[in-house]
Amino acid sequence: MQVDDALLSRLEKLSFLKISEDKREEIIEQLSEIVGFVDNLSELDTEGVDATFAMSDAATPLREDTPDCNPEIHEEILKHAPKSADDFFIVPKIIE
Amino acid sequence: MITLKEALTLNKDELNKFKDELRNKIEANKDLNAYIDVNSVGEGVPIAIKDNIQVKDWSITSGSKILQGYIAPYNATVIKKLLDNGLSPFGRVNMDEFAMGSTTESSFYGKTQNPHASDRVPGGSSGGSAAAVGAGLAIAALGSDTGGSIRQPAAFCGIVGMKPTYGRVSRYGLGAYASSLDQIGPMTQNVEDAAILYDIISGSDEKDSTNAGRDDKVIPNLDATRKLTIAVLPKYVENASQDIKDAYAKAIEALKAAGHTIVEREMMDAKYDISAYYITATAEATTNLARYDGIRYGNRVEGKNLEETFYNTRSEGFGDEVKRRILLGNFVLSSGYYEAYYVKAQKTRHIIKDEYAKIFEDVDLILSPVAPTVAPRFGELANPMDMYLSDIYTISVNLAGLPALSLPITKNSEGMPVGLQLIAKAYDEQTLFDGALSLEREVAYKA
Repeated sequence: MQVDDALLSRLEKLSFLKISEDKREEIIEQLSEIVGFVDNLSELDTEGVDATFAMSDAATPLREDTPDCNPEIHEEILKHAPKSADDFFIVPKIIE
Repeated sequence: MITLKEALTLNKDELNKFKDELRNKIEANKDLNAYIDVNSVGEGVPIAIKDNIQVKDWSITSGSKILQGYIAPYNATVIKKLLDNGLSPFGRVNMDEFAMGSTTESSFYGKTQNPHASDRVPGGSSGGSAAAVGAGLAIAALGSDTGGSIRQPAAFCGIVGMKPTYGRVSRYGLGAYASSLDQIGPMTQNVEDAAILYDIISGSDEKDSTNAGRDDKVIPNLDATRKLTIAVLPKYVENASQDIKDAYAKAIEALKAAGHTIVEREMMDAKYDISAYYITATAEATTNLARYDGIRYGNRVEGKNLEETFYNTRSEGFGDEVKRRILLGNFVLSSGYYEAYYVKAQKTRHIIKDEYAKIFEDVDLILSPVAPTVAPRFGELANPMDMYLSDIYTISVNLAGLPALSLPITKNSEGMPVGLQLIAKAYDEQTLFDGALSLEREVAYKA
């Protein structure tokens, strides 16, 4: 399958990424080559095979519902965040 | 370099002296670029740590610009286990950005050299770990393996690298790439050291819900004299280079000489493994890397509003290979393509897992190449598809969640190490290490 500029634009939006003008052609070519390769899976007969895969068939283990909190971790994260004040991360204005 | 087993017998003064000398050696070998920096925690035996495993108060950046400024707020479970068992995180080692690569060329910190040839790659993504151990600049290291990232650099640098069964080692505190494939594992000078380090880092952990909750250990029963049935894959090896084929033949003779039974088996064309892997890994990566938005961690490139901040931070913070994999992951997960790619890849994983299960019905181990060639020169795998194809022998193990161990077998005419891997059934690390120890003794590789 061929990746084109319209598809790349859609993927950029989904990815929150901007690919610069000088790299678009190269990346379209690379993505097309990779997608073209992985198309080989269509040769495999997977009729009746389970569509989901989990590393373990066991249910997710449960633990006792006891509160557990290490406030030091929160403090460290906020301290090293790009911008923070009090107990908050600061972000650019969302509503104009 | 002294072994991990020997280092564990040193007293505090001897260890301090050793660590001072090690620091000097690392400083004197800056060109190798295996280490990003050398901090240490605790007073134990020094272990080099891949830049994606959280060590409290260290800058841990997954080799990426986007995580510059991030400081780990807690210890990964494996780090806690090191500290509890007389080992010390000592130095942060280089890696491909977010563990996405096979050469360590994509690191924000620049290329790492192969200790056996300065114009060749050390492999990847745990290239810093492998180069440090291979160059005698670390007793042992921790790496992580999503599609071969421990085993392949180990093979390229002439050391032992082991990927545990999925769920054996806690992933708590490991920078996530592909959560259903990632495992932390030991990278060491020999098989016994790998078993020692594996025993220390493995085990149950309530902080990782995918942990298997198993606490059995290998060292108490380690036995190289067990006679095993080992499958070889003649057709699978056909596409490898002559260096690899020669090493494969040598390993088969060694296994026979050690009294093991060799049987021939076949596996399906590994081109399907590559497809299933790159679809699964990029889908999971795109989800895991969504968290890097410049708000909570590391490096923010501010825009005029929140959306532009996301775009700017991610576009400037991620390197080319990471961007490629995020775009691919969003492609295989997006409406209209999800069934044909993502779902098809999950079905293929079942086929691969079943194929291994069938082989393991009557064999103990499988002998397989690790990479199709010895370590390539810098730039040889610049085309992404060529790099993906070079993962052909390692990724099915991750897709099926199996344990595998890469060990050096011989050197080619240019003096480059050739490693091969043994693969075991899930949770049978005991047989994996028993067989590997037997093979190691028989081939008597000289570093």
